[in-house]
Amino acid sequence: MQTNTPSAHKATRKAVPLTQLVRGQRGRIDCTDAESDDCSVLRAMGLRPDASIQMCRLGEPCIVSLTGACGGGCRIGLAKGIASRVMVHIDE
Amino acid sequence: MSTPTAQQIVPTKRTIAVLGNPNVGKTTLFNRIAGIRAKTANFPGTTQDARVAHVRLNQEHADIESVLIDLPGIYSLHLDLSESKVCADVLAGTAAPAGEESHIPDALLVVIDATNLMRNLSIVGESLAKRLPTVVAVNLIDAARRRSIHIDPDKLSECLGCPVVLCSARTGEGIEELTTTLSKARVPDRSAPTDQLAIERWAQDIYSAVSMPNEHTGDDQFTDRLDRAFTHPVLGLISFAAVMTGFFWVIFKLAAYPMGWIDLWISAVGGWVGSIIPPGPVHDLMVNGIFAGVGATVVFVPQICLLFFLLALLEGTGYLARAAFVIDRAMRPFGLSGHAFVPLLSSHACAIPGIMSTRAIPDRRDRLATILVAPFMSCTARIPVYVLLTTILFPNRPSMQALAFTACYIVGATAGLLTSLLYRRTILRGKSRPMALELPSYRIPDLKSALLLTFDRGMVFLKKAGTLILAISIILWWLGSYPHAKPVDEAVALQAQSESIADPAQAQRLIDQAQTIQARADAEHSFLSRIGSTIQPIFAPLGYDRQLTVGVLASFAAREVFVSTMAVQVAGSDNVEDDTVLDSIANAKRDDGSLVFTAATSWSLLTFYVLASLCLATSVITAKETRSWKWSLLQFGWMTFVAYTSALIVYQTLSAIGA
Repeated sequence: MQTNTPSAHKATRKAVPLTQLVRGQRGRIDCTDAESDDCSVLRAMGLRPDASIQMCRLGEPCIVSLTGACGGGCRIGLAKGIASRVMVHIDE
Repeated sequence: MSTPTAQQIVPTKRTIAVLGNPNVGKTTLFNRIAGIRAKTANFPGTTQDARVAHVRLNQEHADIESVLIDLPGIYSLHLDLSESKVCADVLAGTAAPAGEESHIPDALLVVIDATNLMRNLSIVGESLAKRLPTVVAVNLIDAARRRSIHIDPDKLSECLGCPVVLCSARTGEGIEELTTTLSKARVPDRSAPTDQLAIERWAQDIYSAVSMPNEHTGDDQFTDRLDRAFTHPVLGLISFAAVMTGFFWVIFKLAAYPMGWIDLWISAVGGWVGSIIPPGPVHDLMVNGIFAGVGATVVFVPQICLLFFLLALLEGTGYLARAAFVIDRAMRPFGLSGHAFVPLLSSHACAIPGIMSTRAIPDRRDRLATILVAPFMSCTARIPVYVLLTTILFPNRPSMQALAFTACYIVGATAGLLTSLLYRRTILRGKSRPMALELPSYRIPDLKSALLLTFDRGMVFLKKAGTLILAISIILWWLGSYPHAKPVDEAVALQAQSESIADPAQAQRLIDQAQTIQARADAEHSFLSRIGSTIQPIFAPLGYDRQLTVGVLASFAAREVFVSTMAVQVAGSDNVEDDTVLDSIANAKRDDGSLVFTAATSWSLLTFYVLASLCLATSVITAKETRSWKWSLLQFGWMTFVAYTSALIVYQTLSAIGA
């Protein structure tokens, strides 16, 4: 399932898989191209379109921090298989 | 039950559902309010449970009893997950924990994390849509302050249309205000959108209006370093091995002391009860049935309590979520998730707590696969049997005994992993939920919550397993003890001889010998022995005679019973008085005079014990945890099939080559 919301970032930059971010890099979630149930869970966990994230650890698991919206206190670990299906716009 | 209003008569009992995301300190807050008065109750027909407490919230409303229900942590009421469905059903009034009446709750307490406000507001939005009296507890306010996050409670209350209390379950800040506010909860005067996308936007708007976050990174750098170490392919494994070694060392070593004390205490009380009841059926039932049955169950309580206490502490530190990822890599090829590791490792102590701890596995198929293969792990109850058989196979060769002992553990674990693979490719086919876990902040674990959980799990074990195991132990005792054989001439003669001997020590030896001979005759005459003789042909291809078949049957109550059953059966079968029990068993003769324990039979028996699910308690717990005897029967049937076939191959191969 694909979930999208209008975002100013999308018009100007191409979304890349989350796994392409380097450590410390920030971005905004564009959409999640995962199975419907997984997508709903990720979204409920906070990985929703336009959410601001920061890459903490690459590889297996991929660890991202939800920034801004939660004061940087929320980290989510993702298996590589599902992390590669989360598309993000990299912040400049 | 209708929603209360000011016009209605004040009820004397109110149900308050406690709802919130995972890792927001919901249970710590619940424990802070409820304390030891809480108990765990299952939701009938599901694998979910909740903590329930009957409390009086404050002096002002002392006449009103509040039933607090701590629901499972969820991210949303609308996800296709069993925990979400249970919470949705409770709020709809169609489900309730066992022992409680199903009705729409009288009030909601929504617990949210002050350090992660925006995401948490989604569950608040979903709750407001229920139009129930609601109070929002903004927990972890102390952690938010450390991160320089400011939340305006009045503005938040205005936006939500319901009371908001800033609190910290850890320090106790705001708890009194929360209980007072809860007793006066009212239906919110505002609502939230119902569409998911609209709720997200609503949450973002409220978050922007009430919060001033500060991008604080001090803690994050520390967390980053720990995360990288704990999830590193090599460092992560080393740290995991170190943590688990310490974890199980404590469980095996420390639990041995209280287990020994309980054993001694039960023996002492059993002996005292035995001494005041005259010999006869009631005496035997009390001493050999009830006290032996209770003792065999209660003796595992320290191990179970320690396991859950340490697990709660480990979980409280935030480490377990990281470890799950490390192990996930190794377990995935076998169709098991990283969550399965602790239950499977725990099963090496005892499969019962191992199976009980699978509740932490979120995916249903992963959880079922883990439960079904847990008894393949060699538990401590198998150790006496392993000791006996490896000693018989390699007398006076301790290094070979140790090697065979280790091989038993490896064979059991391998069979478990391969069985999981088989299940996941057949009856439990389907994609597992990929690992996506929230990694909670590293914290000092809450000792009180860990102790309460331990107490609760210990009681659950005693209530659930103890009663059933005790009942069936009594049945097995009766089958193994009745009907009694007629007095054996040899025993009567020895008894008479003892009366004419002046030396009390020598007389006692003769009495013991007479009792042993009579006990053996009784055992041979019992219903269990007759059942053994009837089904012995089934075990004949594995090399087992009548005595071994009875030993295998009796050990279904508890595996370690095999050794004592064999000891009773073979006692006195050789005439070497100085032999130890072990030697007596090793030299036991069949009815035709040949050795019971040939090499082929011993290997066959060892294989059978490594792979068979000879444990009634495990079957009962499997049925309880899966809510179905179907899975329990499948587990028992498959393990028996694997054990029988493997033992058959071992015996027939070794017999063919003349071992």
